[in-house]
Amino acid sequence: MAHSSPAPSRALPRLKSVVIAGSAYVIALIFLFPYVIMLLTAVRPQDTLREATYLPSAFEWSSLVEFWSGGLAGNLVVTLQVAAGSTLLVLLVALPAAYYTSRHNFRFRTGFLFLVLITQMFQPTAMLVGIYREFFQFGLVDTVWALILVNGGFNLAFAVWILNAYFSSIPRELEEAAFIDGNGRFGTLFRITLPLAMPGVVTALIFTFIAAWNEFAVALMLTTTPANQPLTVALNSYIGQYQVDWQGLFAGSVIATIPVIILFALIERKVVNGLTAGSIK
Amino acid sequence: MRTRIAGALGLAAVLALAGCGSSGTGEGGGQNASSGGGAVTLKMVAADYGSDPNAENAGAKFWKGIVDEFQAANPNIKIDVQVINWNDIDKQVATMVQNGQPPDILQTGGYSGFVQDGLLHKVDEILSPNVQQDLLTKFADFGKVDGVAYGIPFVSSARGLFYNKELFDKAGIAEPPKTWDELKAAAEKLKKSGVSQPFGLPLGQEEAQGESFLWFLGAGGGYKDASGKWAINSPQNIEAFTFMKGLVDAGLTTPNPGTKDRKTVWEDFAAGKVGMVNGGPMSIPIFDEGSVKDKYGVAPIAGKTGALDTTLGVMDWIMAFNKNNHPAEIKKFFDFFYTGNAVQKIVDNYKLLPVTKGGIEKLSGDEKLKPFLDGLPNASFYPFTDPKWPAVQDTIKQTIGGAVEDPAKVLGELQKTAETG
Amino acid sequence: MRHRSRGLRALEPLAWVGPAIVLIALVVLWPVVEMIRSSFLKISKFGVVQGGNGTANYDRLFAEPDFASIMGRTLIWVVAVVGLTVIISLALAQLFNQRFPGRKIARWALIAPWAASVLMTAIIFRWMLDPEVGVINMIRRDLGFLDALGGASADPLGQSATAMPWLIFVAVFVSVPFTTYALIAGLSTIPGDIYEAARMDGASKMRIYWAITFPLLRPALTVAALINVMNVFNNFPIIWAMTRGQPGYSTSTSTIFMYILKNRDIGESAAMSVVNFGMVIILTVVFLKVTRWRSEVA
Repeated sequence: MAHSSPAPSRALPRLKSVVIAGSAYVIALIFLFPYVIMLLTAVRPQDTLREATYLPSAFEWSSLVEFWSGGLAGNLVVTLQVAAGSTLLVLLVALPAAYYTSRHNFRFRTGFLFLVLITQMFQPTAMLVGIYREFFQFGLVDTVWALILVNGGFNLAFAVWILNAYFSSIPRELEEAAFIDGNGRFGTLFRITLPLAMPGVVTALIFTFIAAWNEFAVALMLTTTPANQPLTVALNSYIGQYQVDWQGLFAGSVIATIPVIILFALIERKVVNGLTAGSIK
Repeated sequence: MRTRIAGALGLAAVLALAGCGSSGTGEGGGQNASSGGGAVTLKMVAADYGSDPNAENAGAKFWKGIVDEFQAANPNIKIDVQVINWNDIDKQVATMVQNGQPPDILQTGGYSGFVQDGLLHKVDEILSPNVQQDLLTKFADFGKVDGVAYGIPFVSSARGLFYNKELFDKAGIAEPPKTWDELKAAAEKLKKSGVSQPFGLPLGQEEAQGESFLWFLGAGGGYKDASGKWAINSPQNIEAFTFMKGLVDAGLTTPNPGTKDRKTVWEDFAAGKVGMVNGGPMSIPIFDEGSVKDKYGVAPIAGKTGALDTTLGVMDWIMAFNKNNHPAEIKKFFDFFYTGNAVQKIVDNYKLLPVTKGGIEKLSGDEKLKPFLDGLPNASFYPFTDPKWPAVQDTIKQTIGGAVEDPAKVLGELQKTAETG
Repeated sequence: MRHRSRGLRALEPLAWVGPAIVLIALVVLWPVVEMIRSSFLKISKFGVVQGGNGTANYDRLFAEPDFASIMGRTLIWVVAVVGLTVIISLALAQLFNQRFPGRKIARWALIAPWAASVLMTAIIFRWMLDPEVGVINMIRRDLGFLDALGGASADPLGQSATAMPWLIFVAVFVSVPFTTYALIAGLSTIPGDIYEAARMDGASKMRIYWAITFPLLRPALTVAALINVMNVFNNFPIIWAMTRGQPGYSTSTSTIFMYILKNRDIGESAAMSVVNFGMVIILTVVFLKVTRWRSEVA
């Protein structure tokens, strides 16, 4: 993204960069703050949870350890399968649809885009019973496949949409030139169009992955065996009838969040690299 | 039944079959061996009384112990237990029922919803007469709908007033309040000595119907009157909330009680931030984990003119669905459960109270449980056999907290909901 | 021959678009039909259909004393959250698009609320606003805005007048990362030489932004804002975890109300879903009209 904005010239007053960096750090800290508190609460001993102190008087790391010994690691794997599976599904289905829609004016194109738009308006929360009944008939209840399908289906609209927008923003002339240069239709797609649409692809990918990673309501309804439950659902069992195991709950949440941030960090670097090596100019 | 048409239209049909075909049609029989001596698998769903699935007292561990023992004695019956936490169990069971796949045995907080739909075995079909007779009469009677018993009381609980002795000493209060006037005076003293929540008052979504009921009882009111008609806005109930309003306005309670859950208030009591709170045997382990351990006492709940001789009895239920038609096997398991030491284990593990005369006798020596056991035989109950109760209760949970601002209006609206619902 | 190849060509779009249509129909549309159908049925608490119910579910829904205020609040909720999100994200996208040391790490931090489950973020915010031990209340006290912990003034979530702003804050908090990131991605597609040309013409910073950056950002902004409208409208975990719509129904939106009704009356709850859906469609159409979506995105 080096050349993406007015490049700060060397004459730029130093003060200004300090202000920019400073405010960016402060904002970053604000966004991290709740999760720092989450971590601090997770390691706070149970009997000091209701003490009004900023920092715990003692650190009890057991809740973070118990996460792994208590079988929740298996739930983390389920979550990973669901998130990766739905992301893959969405990319496989959305890429061709979005590309074709942006490049060809076929008969039901408007109808298709309208369908996508409508889909985007639905959240699975609103129709849990219908979803359950359907997957029950497929015999997919309590399986990873059901969660992959649902998460894929509900995130597809966004992916198609944003990819369509990005493909449309790429001038046809670029493709035509490449085509004339002797790249085949698919060669053009993979060598020219896709790299240019990378920000869109990555956004769609991350969006789906994170949405599937954190999905709760459907998984709660569709998975009944503890071992088949993704982490979000498994964590819910820390909320008991009379008592909440705050440390366990928060420890699990912190652990569930970290892989996503790491993944994002990895992908973001790729995007930046892809762009600096890239072909926008 | 699994055609596409059934998919689009057919929940009605599937459930109607499941519901009306009560006994003998043998719809679900395909998946089970016939009654000719082959092994039968009973699917059981139970609520988790443990604090979390990894805890020592986790429900799954508890039931495994019981079931292993039962299966050793009854090799032909296999019991498959699925333990679900309280947040999810109603939803998941509803889903199972909606899909025509109810468990054979269900242990949860209510049974009456299933009776309406004709899904349950009668208690006579699944529990021996001697066990039925041992159940506390007042409790067992609530398992009946139109005179026929469907639900079996499983465990119960009662309420009492917990007070923090240390805070009471500091505030110069000699003994726990018996009347409302004493309660208010004590709360004022606690406030003066720096306690932020002299009286813990959870009127939020989680448990508002329970807390409110205790106050209604204190004024001689209740959700229904003696003739069984809804009386949510009775003068007694309005009086109760008017008194509570006084406490709230004076800052003597949990702030904004209409949004506060019992869990949080109990946590605060356990941490020594609350002077008094209504609780039950199940709060004992929670308080024992906190800094208030060994510093709290239990007393009967304060009423308008004197301590209550009744308490709010709450019970959970166990029931059997008739879809797969295995009453004989279920009976064996239920009889085993109620005559063996299983109930004792529940009491030990979870501080819940037994529902059998025999069970109460066995516990009579336990000092901490005494105030609760004393109140049990004379307990008062929610009107949960009224088919409208679930919906009314849900509305109460959402809105009754507002009655500490305008008692007559909010209780009047609830009364209207209950009457028209 | 010619006939067949025309037939094949007609099928070509299906090969590209077909899988998407199948997935949408299967996973999304089927349950929707189910939902609309349920809104005209009488259904018991455990889901047993007891027959048709005409429009009785709708009649009951519209007769709910809190219905009007809930719908009004929903509208305010959506407009406030999306509006604030967009404004804040535009600023943050500019900021985080500048080059400064540690920018990468700062951007990762920005992503935390998006990466974390919304439910858990809402729960931690409720924890931080706890009247007795909430860290936000402790900060307010130490800054002198609060006399003491534990009282009504330390309980912003207990009263709708103070709870709504906090709920909106949390909703903005979790919506900003995605929106900002979409805008950063949008910024990155704007060629740098456009700016150079503008600078040579002597245009001011503000002018460059409004004349060049903003128009070029509009497609990304439109998409992001529209996604936000629908997510926020349907957002359920924030309010559910922080206030359950209480006190009374005074912090409930239509989605929360639908969920509350689900415990009482599945038919009426389905009717609420359908009304909810109608409202989203209207909002979307209005939004598209206002932003002239067709020319920019499709």
